[in-house]
Amino acid sequence: MQAEIGLRPNLVRRWANGVPAHPWLTVAPVLALVALFTIFPFIYAAVTSTRQMILTLPDQTPFVGLKNYLDVLQDASARQAAVNAVVFSVVAVTAVTLLGLLVALLLNQPIRGFGILRALVLLPWAIPLVSAGIIWRLLLHGDFGAFNGLLLQLGIVHSYIPWLSSRQLALGAVIVAHVWREFPLPAILFLAGLQVIPPDVVDAATVDGAGAWQRFRYVILPLLKAPLLIVLVYETMIAVTVFDLVYVLTGGGPGSATTLFSWYAYAATFHFLNLGQGAALSFIMAAVLLLFIAIYLRLLRVGRDDT
Amino acid sequence: MARKSLRVWRWAAMLVALSVLTAGCAQGGASSGSVHLNFMVWSYGIDTIQDNIKKFQSSNPSVTVSLADTSWFNYHDTMATKFTAGGAPDVAYSSDHWLREWVSAGWIVPIDQYCPSLASYKDEWAPYALQGMTLNNHVYGLPYYADMVIFIYNDKLLKQAGFDHPPATWEELTSQAQTIKSKGISQYPIDIPMKKDDPWTIEIFYSMVYGRGGHMFDSNTNPTFAESGGPAEQTLSWLRSAYASKILDPAVFESAEPDVVKTTGSGQHVFTVLAKYNLAELNQGQHAQKGNFKMALMPGSQHSTVGFVRFYSLTKAAVSHGDAAVKASCNFLQYFGGKTDGQYKVVKRWAVEKGLGFANLPLYDDSDVSKSINAWGNVDLERQQAKTANVKEGLTRWWGTWDIYAREQIDNAVSGSSTPSQALQNMNTKWSQLKS
Repeated sequence: MQAEIGLRPNLVRRWANGVPAHPWLTVAPVLALVALFTIFPFIYAAVTSTRQMILTLPDQTPFVGLKNYLDVLQDASARQAAVNAVVFSVVAVTAVTLLGLLVALLLNQPIRGFGILRALVLLPWAIPLVSAGIIWRLLLHGDFGAFNGLLLQLGIVHSYIPWLSSRQLALGAVIVAHVWREFPLPAILFLAGLQVIPPDVVDAATVDGAGAWQRFRYVILPLLKAPLLIVLVYETMIAVTVFDLVYVLTGGGPGSATTLFSWYAYAATFHFLNLGQGAALSFIMAAVLLLFIAIYLRLLRVGRDDT
Repeated sequence: MARKSLRVWRWAAMLVALSVLTAGCAQGGASSGSVHLNFMVWSYGIDTIQDNIKKFQSSNPSVTVSLADTSWFNYHDTMATKFTAGGAPDVAYSSDHWLREWVSAGWIVPIDQYCPSLASYKDEWAPYALQGMTLNNHVYGLPYYADMVIFIYNDKLLKQAGFDHPPATWEELTSQAQTIKSKGISQYPIDIPMKKDDPWTIEIFYSMVYGRGGHMFDSNTNPTFAESGGPAEQTLSWLRSAYASKILDPAVFESAEPDVVKTTGSGQHVFTVLAKYNLAELNQGQHAQKGNFKMALMPGSQHSTVGFVRFYSLTKAAVSHGDAAVKASCNFLQYFGGKTDGQYKVVKRWAVEKGLGFANLPLYDDSDVSKSINAWGNVDLERQQAKTANVKEGLTRWWGTWDIYAREQIDNAVSGSSTPSQALQNMNTKWSQLKS
């Protein structure tokens, strides 16, 4: 059999624990690609984060240990970006999850025409993030935004509101645009979860006298733990690393009002040309993400039975 | 079965080797017969550039040119990526405020070293433009265009408000704007681009400080802007006051240059501060208030402003591609930024067709250029403003980094989240950090 797949017999050795060599050989190209595109950049970034690497000083790249990390932690702008990122992530993930769940519950109803809606609901998610940013900028602009025009026509406001120029409103506006772009995926995941819940279980709860809220809280929600975990982990990753939307909508302004940690890492790298600090910021961001994910896993404790 | 498989492997290896060899020969063929140049620009007048390239190629049949463009707002970051990660062009647009950074990083090379004949044009360039392209006694570019930041107003709306002359000082501007607002002619009479990612913000701020007779840095590039009660603080305080009293558009922080042109052209605003070429667009483009715009000297006691230059640069990538690429690049630069048949053809074309300013002083005596400028502007006033124009001060290796930080601080002060004094102190501290 080994000869049939074209491998020399002497290559097909066994490891000491009895695992044959050829499975390793077959996955070797994939492993090499992973090493090339994941492990190497990771190690390179780790090394970069411990050096002074400023593009305008290409000949001076000394080892500086953890200085880049310390500089970031002591930098008031980075701290502001971190605070913004936490606010953004908490509000955005909560909103995306709740909206996704509500839409899924609605689409799960046996109502004629909802089949088309299930496809349409994916539309915002299918739009590239940069395009979504441009759409929202044109909608919200304080001088010519269509949303402002609508509010004015309806008599709700007396003059255009500078959604993206106001320090109080700008982060909220970015969150709204982000939620609009992101909610379809959770909605579809929750819908898939809802559709595999046996109707008998829900019927039994109804027979036992459970109301709509009780059925949702004690029957449906526990059975949605697995998709909920996926949604929370995925959306947290997206919220913490979101960049494109800020880039197009506000450029991190006004002032530092919408400067998120991911945007700040970009700015450190490409605006300030400080690759060492940019790499340090990226590692800090990755560490925070891992922490978030660990907390979710701990809180939700999804066991094999749930999946 | 094993033998058959081995044969397949051998054939595959031979095919790969053959294709690599063929590709190598093809490249060698291209380099021996013709030269290909990559030209990177920001997205403005792409049709005109394409046409200029076409004309260049017809007179230089051995050179082919590929054009790539990206938005002005992303240009710095895109170029940083290209220069560091590969794919750097041979010839590229650059700007006076990036010169130190790009030279320090080794991204661009002096043209007086690689294209010595081109540097001879420098005697015909405006001093601020030459200064903006010169570092350590080397010239790093040929002007694509050179222009000034100017004060623009809507003459029709100003007269409608009962004023027969534009404001000469910032205080007079406040007074006129308040009258215009109170008469309902414009809800927000003043608008300037202050979107955080718009590089114009800092040039406009400099101009406002220069207009008051102030400076941002001394001749040794030491900051002077943080002087308590100085022109920079007065400027920030004026902006803050204008924003708070809503004579300055509240949407100012989401308005980049194109947004301001659009809304001012529609009649939403009466006063703005922009690069001069926008006056041509406002008076000749598709705008409701087309033809009503005029320039005035920058308000303030000295009426000074910023003169800037955007230029064609030769990159290190061209040098690494060999002598043929350098020679072709020099010819390309000669066509685009120098003279052809004794005339600055491409520079003149930008001036006549698009209203772009120029550093090439002989063009002021060109009747076509004067006629064209007077169709939308005022040559005499432009000359008068040019006499007081100054290059941006403090242009150092770290200026680009400081600029981005400074824009954030300006936004913070204008929006009221910090005081003008605090914002300027932060800018000062950042400068010291970057310098060290």
